[in-house]
Amino acid sequence: MKPSDIGPRPHRSFAPVFWLLFGAGGMLSALFGPALILLTGIMAPQGWGLPARFTDFPHALEFARNPVGKLVALAVIALFLFHGAERLFLTLKDMRAGALPVLRAATYGVAALMSLATLILLLLIGF
Amino acid sequence: MSEQRPFHRPMPANWWAHKPYLSYTLRELTGVAVALYGVILLAGLVCLWLGADAYAGYQDVIASKLSLLAHLLLLVAMLWHVVTWFQTLPKTMPRLILHGKPVKPQSITAIGLLVAGVCSVALLAAVVALGAWS
Repeated sequence: MKPSDIGPRPHRSFAPVFWLLFGAGGMLSALFGPALILLTGIMAPQGWGLPARFTDFPHALEFARNPVGKLVALAVIALFLFHGAERLFLTLKDMRAGALPVLRAATYGVAALMSLATLILLLLIGF
Repeated sequence: MSEQRPFHRPMPANWWAHKPYLSYTLRELTGVAVALYGVILLAGLVCLWLGADAYAGYQDVIASKLSLLAHLLLLVAMLWHVVTWFQTLPKTMPRLILHGKPVKPQSITAIGLLVAGVCSVALLAAVVALGAWS
């Protein structure tokens, strides 16, 4: 049987790509999100349990210049953004908040642009 | 040919703000908190690239009382995300069968929460230990 015998090629959807990014971001944030918010947003800035020099400019720059640090920063920022984008898009769609192309641009579009910005910034900061 | 006119049950525009949909809405909105935290980190990365002065400004903002309050709210939303994520996991993953018996959804949720707790506590402990030791 030739492939043409089983009918036209089915329409391919991009949805699994976004579903995968949503799932990866959801799992990463479920496993490490609370600790990350506590560390970078509460403990380090307030000086609770962490020395001030831990997040000063030279140390932060060293982290962003390290290849592993770059990978961690990109994974956390991009996957968290795409996780939120998927949830917000589907919720706004269910709320009938606007035309689908507008909602897509406002969620997936913003997440994609910000992820690209993260990648470019990490490359600009150098190794 | 008669025209099809299916009945559409009327639905208030703000159905998502009422029970039983409210819990669904709140769960989905935790995703916004997760993304917002990503944006805060991205802002830090921008300032880091701009230089020492911009990064010092970012640190001042992050250390403010308003930022502390915002991060506490983000933490609450993140914790609710963790709970609901592992409550949904048994429904989204393939059926797990051990020794010929399907694993109970409650067990999968419990194991997921346990693993998440271990991961977060391990990361916290590792960073605090590194800070104290260095």
